[in-house]
Amino acid sequence: MTRFGELLRTLATAGVEFIVVGGVAAAAHGSPRSTQDVDVVYGRGRQNLQRLVEALLPHKPYLRGAPPGLPFRFDLETLRAGLNFTLITDLGWLDLLGEIAGGGRYEDLLPHSITIAAFGIECHVLDIETLIRTKRSAGRRKDLEGIAELESLRDRQKRL
Amino acid sequence: MNSIDEIIELYKREIDQTLIDASLQRTVEERIQALEDFDQFREELRDAMERRRDALR
Repeated sequence: MTRFGELLRTLATAGVEFIVVGGVAAAAHGSPRSTQDVDVVYGRGRQNLQRLVEALLPHKPYLRGAPPGLPFRFDLETLRAGLNFTLITDLGWLDLLGEIAGGGRYEDLLPHSITIAAFGIECHVLDIETLIRTKRSAGRRKDLEGIAELESLRDRQKRL
Repeated sequence: MNSIDEIIELYKREIDQTLIDASLQRTVEERIQALEDFDQFREELRDAMERRRDALR
């Protein structure tokens, strides 16, 4: 089970630069669709990578779906060598994304994010227009229903 | 309108607006908490199904 609030709190209290995207961002905007993981786009600066390591290491991050016993180390070197990591932690499933299709990296997305206050912390969430745009760019068939829902939601919010 | 737009427009007809309205009544924290509650519910259901399968063996 993923502890959504606790994962966000863990990253935010460690000072990690991140933007919530994907299903949790959709939920924050009002989508009733369920999701099982937290997707975040994170800053790739050295200091931020170090903060990520310090924040997540106590929660035993491991590659999701990988067989147990692989010599995976969640450290600065690993983060610098990779970009996107789908992880399982003792707080649940977390996807660390260095960039996303149609949106780019953390610095590109930050101006297209909003700040939310929840679970005793503040964090950035991708705005609904950019969320729709990135989902369209991803071109995944499974996202089409979600896009329809987000567009309806956006139109609904405009009418409120 | 391209074919992807057409598909998205078709899906929009199927959307249950009452679910969206109910979600918009909640705070952001309540919406994210609902994800966690559902995840817990799903896990409990899965455990119950496994217990049932074990009992039938």
